[in-house]
Amino acid sequence: MKTTMNRRLLGLGLAGALALSACGDFDVPTTNAPTVDQLSGRLALARTATGIMSQANTDMAGQIQQWGIYGREVWNLLGNDPRETGEEIRGPQDAAGRAGGQWGGKYVALRTINAYLTAVGESAELSEAEKSAARGLAKTFAGYHFYKLAVRSGPLGLPIDVDRPIDADPAPFVSQQAAFEHAVSLLNQAYTDLQAGGAAFPFTMAPGYTGFTTPSTFATFNRGLVAKVQVDRALLAGCGQQCFQAALTALGQSFITTAGLPGSLTTGVYLAYDGASGEPTNPVSEPLTALRFFMHPSLEALVQNQANASPDLRWTSKVRRIAEARTFANLTSDLKPILYNTNTATSSVANLGADIPLLKNEELLLIRAEANFGMGNKQAALDDINLVRVNSGGLAPSTLTAASPDADIVSELLYNRLFSLLAEQGTRWVDARKYGRLGSLPIDRAGDVVHPYMLIPAGECDARGLSVPCTPLGN
Amino acid sequence: MKIGRRVLMLGIAGLLAAPGWLAAQAREITGTVSRSGSGEPIAEATVTLVGTTTVARTDAAGRYSITASGDARLMFRAIGFTRREAVVPAGQSTMNVSLDQDIFRLDEVIVAGAATSVERRAATTAIAVVGGEDVAKVAAPTFESALNGRISGVNIQSNSGAPGGGIQMQIRGNTTVLGASDPLFVIDGVIYSNTRINGGRASAIAGASVNEDDPVNRVADVNPADIASIEILKGAAASSIYGSKASNGVVVIKTIRGQAGQTRANVSQRVGTFDLQRKLQSRNFQTIEEAVDVFGEAKRAALAPYFAGGAPRTYDLYEEVYGRNAVSYETVADVSGGTEQTRFFVSGTWKRDEGIADNSGFGRQGLRVNVDQKLSNKLDVSVSSVFNRSLEQRSFANNGNAGGTAGYALAYQPNFQSLLPGADGRFTEVPLTGYFNANPVQTNRLSDNNTETNRFTGGANLNWRAFTNERQSFLFTAGAGVDIFNQGDEIYTPPDLFWEQIKARPGTASEQAGVSRQANWNLNGVHTLRPSSGFVTATTSFGVQYEDRQLKITRVSNTNLIPGQSNVNRGTTPVAAEDLTRERTFALYAQEDLMLLDDRMLISGGLRAERSSANGNIDKYYIFPKISGSYRFSDLLGQGSQLKLRAAYGETGNQPLFGQKFTTLLTPQFGGVNGFTLSTVAGAPNIEPERLKEVEAGFEAELFRSRVVLDVTYYNRNTTNLLLNRVPPPSSGFTQEVINGGKVQNKGIEASLGVTPIQGRNAQLVTRATFTLNRNKVIELPVASFRPPNAGFGGLGTTFVEVGQPMTQIVGFGFDEDTVRIPTQMRLGNSAPDFRIGFVNDLTVKAFNFSMVWDWQQGGNVINLTQFLYDDGGNAADHGSPDHAYRMKGYNSGVMTPYIEDATFLKLREVSVGVNLPRSFANALSVGARDVRLSVTGRNLLMLTNYTGLDPEVANFGSTAIRNNLDVGPFPPSRSVFFNIAVGF
Repeated sequence: MKTTMNRRLLGLGLAGALALSACGDFDVPTTNAPTVDQLSGRLALARTATGIMSQANTDMAGQIQQWGIYGREVWNLLGNDPRETGEEIRGPQDAAGRAGGQWGGKYVALRTINAYLTAVGESAELSEAEKSAARGLAKTFAGYHFYKLAVRSGPLGLPIDVDRPIDADPAPFVSQQAAFEHAVSLLNQAYTDLQAGGAAFPFTMAPGYTGFTTPSTFATFNRGLVAKVQVDRALLAGCGQQCFQAALTALGQSFITTAGLPGSLTTGVYLAYDGASGEPTNPVSEPLTALRFFMHPSLEALVQNQANASPDLRWTSKVRRIAEARTFANLTSDLKPILYNTNTATSSVANLGADIPLLKNEELLLIRAEANFGMGNKQAALDDINLVRVNSGGLAPSTLTAASPDADIVSELLYNRLFSLLAEQGTRWVDARKYGRLGSLPIDRAGDVVHPYMLIPAGECDARGLSVPCTPLGN
Repeated sequence: MKIGRRVLMLGIAGLLAAPGWLAAQAREITGTVSRSGSGEPIAEATVTLVGTTTVARTDAAGRYSITASGDARLMFRAIGFTRREAVVPAGQSTMNVSLDQDIFRLDEVIVAGAATSVERRAATTAIAVVGGEDVAKVAAPTFESALNGRISGVNIQSNSGAPGGGIQMQIRGNTTVLGASDPLFVIDGVIYSNTRINGGRASAIAGASVNEDDPVNRVADVNPADIASIEILKGAAASSIYGSKASNGVVVIKTIRGQAGQTRANVSQRVGTFDLQRKLQSRNFQTIEEAVDVFGEAKRAALAPYFAGGAPRTYDLYEEVYGRNAVSYETVADVSGGTEQTRFFVSGTWKRDEGIADNSGFGRQGLRVNVDQKLSNKLDVSVSSVFNRSLEQRSFANNGNAGGTAGYALAYQPNFQSLLPGADGRFTEVPLTGYFNANPVQTNRLSDNNTETNRFTGGANLNWRAFTNERQSFLFTAGAGVDIFNQGDEIYTPPDLFWEQIKARPGTASEQAGVSRQANWNLNGVHTLRPSSGFVTATTSFGVQYEDRQLKITRVSNTNLIPGQSNVNRGTTPVAAEDLTRERTFALYAQEDLMLLDDRMLISGGLRAERSSANGNIDKYYIFPKISGSYRFSDLLGQGSQLKLRAAYGETGNQPLFGQKFTTLLTPQFGGVNGFTLSTVAGAPNIEPERLKEVEAGFEAELFRSRVVLDVTYYNRNTTNLLLNRVPPPSSGFTQEVINGGKVQNKGIEASLGVTPIQGRNAQLVTRATFTLNRNKVIELPVASFRPPNAGFGGLGTTFVEVGQPMTQIVGFGFDEDTVRIPTQMRLGNSAPDFRIGFVNDLTVKAFNFSMVWDWQQGGNVINLTQFLYDDGGNAADHGSPDHAYRMKGYNSGVMTPYIEDATFLKLREVSVGVNLPRSFANALSVGARDVRLSVTGRNLLMLTNYTGLDPEVANFGSTAIRNNLDVGPFPPSRSVFFNIAVGF
């Protein structure tokens, strides 16, 4: 009996040993993606810089479309989503839907920027100059994202102190004024960093930055950007002449130029797209047969003619009429945007590799005009407006003079901003807000409205225990 | 490993405690066991000498022989029959018994532990048992659809009417938000994958996410005809033996095994068809002005011809898209038999369901071989193996707002224009829809959405009766199995499609391979001790279990295809993807079962200690305990009655999903370089399993000699440490964060009643009813209320997890009493039903058999976005009616109240009318058949509901943890009728 028992014990022991040897390693890593602890070292940091530049493209489709729809610049008549002809034009705005958009993606980008700034600070593989250059680039984009957030949310404000642990309390909301100030502050810090950034960035610049690939040339982009922010801040956040003056100062250090016009109008920084596999593709380019993007029909009546009676070149080069008008939800248009297409006289083919301007010289000239007008330098403003009229639109100089009524000069400024920046950034809506002209945007159907700003996303309300839609600042 | 060693020592100690055995004056008792009524012998019946471990089995002729002394109490049991006890007085040496059919499966031996089983009559927890003949009776795409109405406590819902299934099975409510929500499936001891792999349809259909791909769940590969029984372990006490994979319950399936005796064969042939059950209608435009109002002034000229003669001719668009009635068939054959040494069961199946849409359908082929081999008196081994091939052609349905899916496009399609191709075979572009020019008939005919799966599942179990005497026994068992499949998905939408033509890169092809590999093994010791006092039978079991599962999905898709080429390499923009998940779990367990008081009382307790690679701490053992008990009263409610009271407490878990502990980097490509950006999902490095704690109590009563059987259970289960996907404020830069925390409660009552009002030699009527009621409530949340992933579409009605509310609540904007929008979102409904009731009736009169299964769901809500789309397109069939005006009021103000509908339905799930032909006829076939059975069966023949959509059983996002009854142009439901002939040899 005892021997049998021992043999059985031995058998069980052997079986047990066999069993354990058949267990695999329990430390199972993920092979699906790199993990956050790999974000260090020169090469990883260089890739993160690429990531930061790629995230500058965030929300561009939304901005061109949605701000364009809000401002009666474009329509989406595809009919696949009732919000494009409903919520966005007729309201009510939905904080859990479209009106709560163009928010999260920017904060996602800001989180990468903050993680990058921390990793750069701790890196032993970068020199002090390289660190400074890297910080300059990252903070420029941080300022850029906060600027766009400030414009989208208007008086509702936004959180800026967001570099905090995920389980910390949600960051407090600050006013639109404070948000603009924060954006400007980041851009100015970036400028300082770039000036101490040595001769080269410690990474390869992404496409779209041709001519702005060193810390010193990138700094001229940074200055252009801050000028743009300051002008909007002057008008939207009540900063007034102080900011107009700051804009003019910054423009002096930017890449603005009157040399080489009209060719130099397009000098600038672009959001780069590419039709190649895996690359980001232009989110708004589409063939003439597509039923999605249309220009708002009210634009056509605004178009001024050249001396030879043919329309403004900016109109003919960016918009084309199609044979069959599209009607959806009682909205009808036969005007298709073609500025992101490959065009001939008879055809217009979608180009998924078409870049979208982030900031171009043509816009800087108009920003200078706007700042000068804000400072009361009306003739200087008209001079820049005329440069654009002639070189970009093929138009004669404006008949306005410094003695003309302010409202007329503003109208002329906004006309040129609209057609110079058509379907690039939703400028008609933002400009109407800046100059209190939302009420004069066209209303196409009885009951339609023009939204003055976007809403705080439902998720921010939920996190703060507020019912949706919410106004965390109480306004 | 310390725990394991201790458990092992405990068992050895039990063995050493074995007393010597008593010698007695023994005699041989012999006899036969036969079936009541027909007198047919029953093979493989067990004969036990009560109070001892002495067991004998009957041979093919039903004969047995057993050694006993003095007055011997013998217990006769056989699978499918009610057990019977008989006393053989000293001096008598023959005993013949007949056994009744066990209609309500009271004597079925069911799972009690990892290596132990118990008669259902004595079980301490509520375990539902369904026989294989029930699920195979009426042709069903998958076996779960045949469970509808048959089991209590389980909510089975079809995601759409697409061929091949796609079914969610929810046992005792929602226990998780983010974790696995499926029951664990175990087939012949092998853990069987029920994963769903999204097929990549979203790569073709812009505007739909991958979660809307509507895949089938992979238990669709199981051939219902192979199933001997299905046991559903509902409560935590029953399922805790499966540890952290068991909080959603466990479905234990046993397949048919050979019986010793004459070799038998069955061949069954089914032929039938599927037919569109319900359809939607478009608006009947009366005048061109009405049409111009919708399609625009620019279309006036195009519209004019249709209205030339007044109101236009109309077409039934759903019939055009879903009107196909093609011949479907299923052939099943099996051969089984063997000797007492070697038994076998071999079966094959060939099935083809033709769907109601062109190019849709479901097919399955399989070959199963089960072998049981006795190696010696002490050692036997059983082997199960099955190879399956399944093909699902799911067509294009559900959400897809770029024209690619039929239901969505049809919502915008006026009915005065036909979708069918002209005489030349060319499809007409549909310029009037204003909707991508999509033509769903063209989409279905020219496109492929095919899933082919090849699967092998096999396992072996070894039983070693190491030691047996009258007072104790020691059994050692070992089991191992693998389940491997390769699911290939092919999506092809050619550039010819109108909705592809308007894309920048028309034509999409996608090829995806999902390779799943699961392996599990276990070693168990079972020691049974019956001290001579007879006071107790103590069963000690212990062992180790190991599970390893891995799923790898790779996909290549391409766009801008060459016309006529479905090859994924014939485009310009290939995109590749790879995803690998892997998990390993090791567990130790020990269980003690005490049968006391003359087998009236059973007390069972056990522990499972488990570590897993899925947890943050991979070295930590998580303990899942259970304790349960039952007590039986005999004759308390009348002569021959039985009343059992039972109560149980148990804990189980739900593992973290793979990758939840990692915070990853995204790698967006830009300028030919993959950049790094932070993932929007914050991982949880200390993630733990969810823990379900449950108390259940109930009773089972058998009255009038088991002709009335009632089983009632109350349960209260709380899940804590939930895996939550918190949505942090977007300004954090994360869109999701994985955390543990919170508490969700499910309370409910489940009951089943079985009655045999007629039981005679020539007629039998069996009626069964099941009742399921569950109430879910969120008790605590460590975070603010939130919308879980796939909750819905923003303001169009979403699920919202909020303390004090059921997880299944639907929120959106609502009306105040003046039908004016209330500016904050509110609860508008609840996707969970109030209760479900099933009725199963089975009448046999002589050779004829008639049976029905009814399934009634009361309450619950559906978000009818299909109706919303019809309204959006000005295309609602009831345009101009008060209902329509009410809906438009909601539509125009963003209020969803008019689109939240009641999901109550009554469905006639199954009907079967059959006849067993007389043996003389069977002989007359001259093939030597033993019996021939003819039947006509129908599935889903009738649906009674006030729901205005296609089917209140609908889920646009497929199977999700929180049931979402979102209706967005689903594949419509179909009914099927089959003629069947089954021949037995």
